[in-house]
Amino acid sequence: MALFRSVSFAVAALALAWGCSRTEAADEQDATAVKPSELNLYTARHYDSDLALYEQFTQETGIVINRIEGSADQLVARIRAEGAGSPADVFIAADAGALRRAQDAGVFQPVSSAELEARIPSALREPSGLWFGLTRRARIVAYDSSKVRPEEIDDYADLASSRFAGKLCVRSSDSVYNLSLVGALIEALGTEEARAWTRGVVANMARPPQGGDRDQIRAVGAGECEVALTNSYYYLRMRTGEDEADREVTEKVALAFPSLGGQGAHVNISGGGVVATAPNRENAVRFLEFLASQNAQAHTASFNSEFPVSDDTPWPEGIAPYRSFVAHPMPVHTFAGRQSEALTLMTEAGWK
Amino acid sequence: MEVNRPQAAGWSGRERSLPFLKWIAWTAGITAAAPLLGVLLVAFGGSGADWRGAGDYALSSLVLAVSVASVIAPIGTITAWLVVRYRFPGRSVFSWALALPLAVPVFALAHAYADLLDVAGPVRSGLRASFGWSLPFEIRSMPGAVVVLSSAFYPYVFLSMKAAFRQQSGVTLEAAQSLGAGPRLALMRVAWPLAWPALAAGVALGVMETLADYGAVYFLSVQTLTTAVVRAWSVEGSVSAAAQFALPLLALAVSLMWFERLMRAGRRFTASAGWRPMPVLNLSPLQAVLATFFCGLVLSVSLIVPVGWLLIKALGVEPDVGRLLRAGVTSLSLGVSGSFLTVVLAVCLAIGARGRPLLLRLSSVGYAAPGAVIAIGLLAPVSLIWRLGQGEVQIVLSLILLLYAYCARLMGAAVEPIDAGLDRISPSIMQASASLGRDDARTAWSVQLPLARGACLASMLIVFVDIMKELPATLMLRPFNFDTLAVISSHYALDERLGQAAWPSLLILVLSVPAVIWLSSGGASSHLKRRTSS
Repeated sequence: MALFRSVSFAVAALALAWGCSRTEAADEQDATAVKPSELNLYTARHYDSDLALYEQFTQETGIVINRIEGSADQLVARIRAEGAGSPADVFIAADAGALRRAQDAGVFQPVSSAELEARIPSALREPSGLWFGLTRRARIVAYDSSKVRPEEIDDYADLASSRFAGKLCVRSSDSVYNLSLVGALIEALGTEEARAWTRGVVANMARPPQGGDRDQIRAVGAGECEVALTNSYYYLRMRTGEDEADREVTEKVALAFPSLGGQGAHVNISGGGVVATAPNRENAVRFLEFLASQNAQAHTASFNSEFPVSDDTPWPEGIAPYRSFVAHPMPVHTFAGRQSEALTLMTEAGWK
Repeated sequence: MEVNRPQAAGWSGRERSLPFLKWIAWTAGITAAAPLLGVLLVAFGGSGADWRGAGDYALSSLVLAVSVASVIAPIGTITAWLVVRYRFPGRSVFSWALALPLAVPVFALAHAYADLLDVAGPVRSGLRASFGWSLPFEIRSMPGAVVVLSSAFYPYVFLSMKAAFRQQSGVTLEAAQSLGAGPRLALMRVAWPLAWPALAAGVALGVMETLADYGAVYFLSVQTLTTAVVRAWSVEGSVSAAAQFALPLLALAVSLMWFERLMRAGRRFTASAGWRPMPVLNLSPLQAVLATFFCGLVLSVSLIVPVGWLLIKALGVEPDVGRLLRAGVTSLSLGVSGSFLTVVLAVCLAIGARGRPLLLRLSSVGYAAPGAVIAIGLLAPVSLIWRLGQGEVQIVLSLILLLYAYCARLMGAAVEPIDAGLDRISPSIMQASASLGRDDARTAWSVQLPLARGACLASMLIVFVDIMKELPATLMLRPFNFDTLAVISSHYALDERLGQAAWPSLLILVLSVPAVIWLSSGGASSHLKRRTSS
């Protein structure tokens, strides 16, 4: 019977699947008789440029990286479920709020590393060393340069003003980047003013929230709206990217860095920390130090257009024109804990 | 064909089942339902969720499910009836090609349509540039989501209706016509009621997939209960709140299965010795053109346009071939081993649970549960298992867990066709076996299983294709350095790189196409047909 013939096939497939899962690590293992040093990475980042960085780390240190990519919250749930036996050494997320939730779930252990403390400004890391910002991304405004003058959007408050009634594109309140931005507004301006802002934004929406950041920029390009909220690197990657239509859009659309209460633009981080139960703690710290190095920051700035965290890092050509932007000095860990409040405000205001 | 109304007690009354079969069925059922029990435990073990706004989510889940059902039921039925009953240009191609959208992950359809019909997309930009006018239709909306999800899920109805129509005997229709019924009346009064259980089964699968979907609705900006689940988890950081939002979904699934059962109740039809295929009729030239046009339209909307656009986007970028190939092998291995395990469990369950519909239904609820919910339910038991091993042991455990998650999630898809296949076995065959002194277990082995072989293969293929597309449980439970095609596609989509995301999606399509064609060409159902008709 076909059913039974396929038994052997299925078993073989299972064996194959198992084989695949260990190819990368195993190749290295077979080559050297001694079991090499390992690092188990749980990351919510999903950028191709990171893979090259991991390879570079392995080349420099001989430490093999095993990785699982996934959404930040599922990775946290997994680490917790794995308990004391969790293989996770380093957890990385692409949003301060996600790092904070991981912190609240007890995922991290404090790390004190002179190198990390020297290279990463204190506003961009958790005060007790639970997690560290490794790249920066500004959440700013893309505007139609034929209809909007940059001085019309020098403050986030402008987005909620009647000037942009029916002219604003934003993505949904599901976006962690929006949640972190509103969290920062609550932190800087207080709940009431932030509430008024979310209402003003909802009133100004040109269409119901939809799409990703690139879609907001494209909508500005298509004339659907005049201003849109976006993370800096999406615009920068469109400008230098492989899609011709996207490159054309960025000729019509420009970036403005509005200020939050006159102190600078809202900056979020991508970062990580060492997991509380890390079996390879030393390697984990070494990996974070590697990611904070000038070399690694420059790599991510070049290939993913994220802004470096350290002042000494050169800004590659693609992002160099924005080097002088003013970032709000607010420590990231302060707004990181406010996403839940932010979601409440946004939901109440009708921000879908 | 004889139409048997089952007696109240049925031929496989409880009292006659051997403990062995019962035992196997319960084991399989509990295995499949375990993650759902986990969800219940997590839901009631934590603090209360914030239910404000949940009514809107529930309503949009309901509207979406009802709309998709009312689109896929007629489309699947009409296309199936056309290709089975009539001769028209392209019929032989349509009869398998109309099932192909099953091989495309629904999130990929959503990516393609969202990009194609976006305000800045090629269609609307082009229209604006040429006519200064654009489509009034917004793809990122409830109607847009209905179009996309219906495109992805109507093949369930098409396949099950096609199999049902094919199994109908020409004799029945001739009898109807000899009694003065025209072809249309014969369809309405004979073919249609006979195919009713198949319709209910096909629609139920489509609706359950709709309820469980997160990737596509997220992309299309429609907020459903799965949105609430993900939000509770990822913003509030509360797994128990997420599990609580999953409860209405599970309740909907249970009522759906109860409804499907109701539809099937009292309508057991079995093939008899007088079976012969329905004659294929000619259409007038105009009708034939219309039939071709209709099937072509359905195929274009559900497959050709979105896949064509993905292909165009894919060709614009350079893929990482090595990574894609490795992920392809991984996906394929998981698909084969996962579908095999699932079907073995499903067979045990379906045979052992004859006459115990509740057990069968319960084990199928997972199909309407979002993968993330199954993952929540699995986390509790797996935390024990994960703690057992280190290193390679852990990799093996992760793999076993992943396959187990597939079983639990897809049991509904596997068990439905098998159960329906067993339903079609005439009670007289079972009685004959019993009169030869075979007990239930031996009857199951030597009679039911061989007769339902086609149904087993069909469900294996459905599960295989589903595993190829599966995302949330894979993301959550997979071992290190273990990327499936769906995982890679989702990473690129999250990074808003459609061209790169299109490559793995297209590869999923290519790898699943043989299974779908085989399913669709009737290979699976013909076994049953031949066996029961001879």
